[in-house]
Amino acid sequence: MSDATKIAIAPRRSLLSQDVTQVLYRLLTVLVICVALSLLSQSFFSLGNILNVLRQASLMFFIASGLTLVVLTAGLDLSVGANVALSACIAGTVIHHTGSTALGVLSGLATGAGVGLLNGLMVTMLRIPSFIATYGMLWVLNGLTYWYMAGETIHGFPPGFRQIGSGYLLGLPTPVYLLVIFLAIGTFFAQRTTWGQQIYAIGANPVAARLSGIPVNRRLLMVYAVSGAMAGLASIVFLARLNSAEADIGESLTLPAIAAVLIGGTSLFGGVGTVFGTFVGALILTLVLNGMNLLQVNASWQPFVTGIILILTVWLDMKSRQRAR
Amino acid sequence: MKHHHKSICVTLTLLVLGGIATGARADGETIAVFTKNQTNPFFQAVRVGADLAAKSLGAKTLHYIPTKSDSISEQLSQIEDVVVKKPSAIVLDPVDYKAMVPGVEKINDANIPVVNFADHSAGGSFVSFVGGDDYRISLETARFLLKTIGGKGNIVIIEGVKGTLTNAERIRGFKDALAENPDAKLVASQPGNFQRLQALQVMENLMQSNFQIDGVLAANDAMATGVIEALDAANRKAVVIGVNGTKEAVDAIKAGKLLASGDYDGFIQGCVATMIAIRAARNQPVVKEIVLKPAVITKDNYQPFDLPLESRICPTWDDAAKLGTK
Repeated sequence: MSDATKIAIAPRRSLLSQDVTQVLYRLLTVLVICVALSLLSQSFFSLGNILNVLRQASLMFFIASGLTLVVLTAGLDLSVGANVALSACIAGTVIHHTGSTALGVLSGLATGAGVGLLNGLMVTMLRIPSFIATYGMLWVLNGLTYWYMAGETIHGFPPGFRQIGSGYLLGLPTPVYLLVIFLAIGTFFAQRTTWGQQIYAIGANPVAARLSGIPVNRRLLMVYAVSGAMAGLASIVFLARLNSAEADIGESLTLPAIAAVLIGGTSLFGGVGTVFGTFVGALILTLVLNGMNLLQVNASWQPFVTGIILILTVWLDMKSRQRAR
Repeated sequence: MKHHHKSICVTLTLLVLGGIATGARADGETIAVFTKNQTNPFFQAVRVGADLAAKSLGAKTLHYIPTKSDSISEQLSQIEDVVVKKPSAIVLDPVDYKAMVPGVEKINDANIPVVNFADHSAGGSFVSFVGGDDYRISLETARFLLKTIGGKGNIVIIEGVKGTLTNAERIRGFKDALAENPDAKLVASQPGNFQRLQALQVMENLMQSNFQIDGVLAANDAMATGVIEALDAANRKAVVIGVNGTKEAVDAIKAGKLLASGDYDGFIQGCVATMIAIRAARNQPVVKEIVLKPAVITKDNYQPFDLPLESRICPTWDDAAKLGTK
C-alpha cells in the first residue's frame, strides 16, 4: 500500500516545481503583452483599465478554474457554457418570482452544482468517457434552456443583486474580490490539501491512485460538481453584470474557458497544471481583446490576430522552458 | 423532431381522407415553417406570427428549427425530410442564403410552393419574398440618433458577426447615416458578434481610450443592452440605439435607457409569409415581394410593440399587401 502511494503521489511532487516555473514563464508572457500594449496605447497602463481587465477576466476564470480540476484528472467538461446559460435563466426566474437575491444566488449555484454532479455520476457510475458524457449534457442543457426560455430574454434585476456583478467595494469591482477569493481557495485546495493532491494523483495515474486507496470515484464526483458549481457562480456574476440572460449565452463561453485552462499550462492528459496558471490563461485571453479594442484593430482581422497571439504564446513558452532546462 | 415527422404523416393522411370524405379542398393545409434557431427572439416572433396567421385561415403550422443554432447541414436534412412528407406549402428562412440553395431546388423539384422570408435566398424559385431591409432600418435608426444629438459628437459602432449579410447591411446603414453628418466623428467600430457579454466588454474597453462618447450604434438589441450596462456601471452617459425591436429593447426604451431600436418585425414577417404560403397552396393570387417599410421604435411610438406576441394581431391580407415598399 505504501509503495503504491509513493507511485501515485511522487510524480506530482516532482512536477510541482515544473508547474511553478511554467506559471512564471506564462506571467512573463503577460508582462511582455502588457509592456507592448503600454507602448502602443497610452490608455492601457492605467488603474482604470487594469481593474477593467481583471473584472473581465474574472468571469472566464470562474468557469475555467472549476474546469481546471476536471482537466487535472484527465477529464473534460464541455457542458460548462450550457450550464452557465441554464443556471442563469433559472436564477433569473427565481429572483423575478421571489424578489430574493439570496434565493436567486442559491438556485444558480445549486443548478450548476447539480448539473456537475450528474456529469460526475455519468463518468463514475456509468463509466461514460467525460468528453461524451459532458458533450451529451451540453445538448440536454441547451434543449432544456431553449424550451424553458422559448426565445425570450429574462431581464431587469434588483440593484442589490446587480452589486455582485457591476458594483464596487472600496474602489474595486466586486467580481475582482470574488476572483481573488476563488483564486486563493482554488490554489490552496489543489496544492495544499490531501484531496487536491489526490486529484493530481488520479490524473497522473488512475490505476495507481485506485490501488493506493484513493477513493477515485468520490474525488471525480467532487471535481465535476465543483466545475458545475463554478459555472453556477459564473452564471450569477453574468446575470448581475449584464442585467439579463437568454438561452444562448453559453455558446461563446465554453471554448475560451478550455483555452484558458490549456494556455495556463494544464495538460489535457491530466496530473499537470495549476489553478493560478488558468488565471494567467484567462488574463492573456482578456488582454488580447482589451488590446485589440484599445488599438482599434479592424473587426475582420481580430480573429486572425487572436489566433496568432495564442499560438505564439504557447510556442514561445514551450521554447523558453526547453532552453531553461 | 421524430414526433413532429409522425404528426405530419398523420396530419397529411387525415387531410387526404378528410378531403375525400367531404369533397372540400384547401382547408386544413399544413405549412412547414423553417426558422434558423430556437434562441433569437426574432424567430420566436416569426413563429407566433406564423401560428396566428395559419390559425385564422384554418391551416396548421409545423416548425422546423435546427437543434444546433443556424446549422446548415441540419436545416438541409430537415428540408429533405419535409420534401418527402409533402406539406401544402413551405415558409423558409435559409440558415445561409447561398448554402441552402440546393435545398430550395429540392423543394422546387417536389413542386411544393415555398415562400422566402428574412434572408434573401441567392437561388431557387420562390412564390414570394417577405423581409425587412436591414440597410434601410439601420440607416433610419442611426439617422434618428444623430438627429437627436444634433448631428455632432463622438460615435461608436458595435458590429455583429463579420461575414454575415445582416451585419454587413446594418453596418453599411450606420456608416451611410454617419456620412450624412460630417460633424459626427466615428471614434471606433469594433465587433461584439451580436453577443451581449462581448458588447459589454468591448464598450468597457473603448471607454478606457475614449473619454467622450456621445452615441453608440449597436447592430442588434442584445449588444445595445450590453453597452447600456457598461455605460451605467461606469457612470457614463451616451445615447444608444439597437436593431430588432425585441421586448427587452422596448422595455429599455420605456425606461429611457435606450433611445431607439430599428424594427425588424418578426411577427409581421411570420404572419405575412405564412398568409402568402397558404394563398399559394389555395391557388389564390399573391404578391411577389413584400419588403417591409423601415420603422424606428422610440419612446413616442413603442406602445404597439409593448404587447405580448400572443395578443398581437396579424394584418388582413389587403393591409399586408400594402405593407411593402415594393
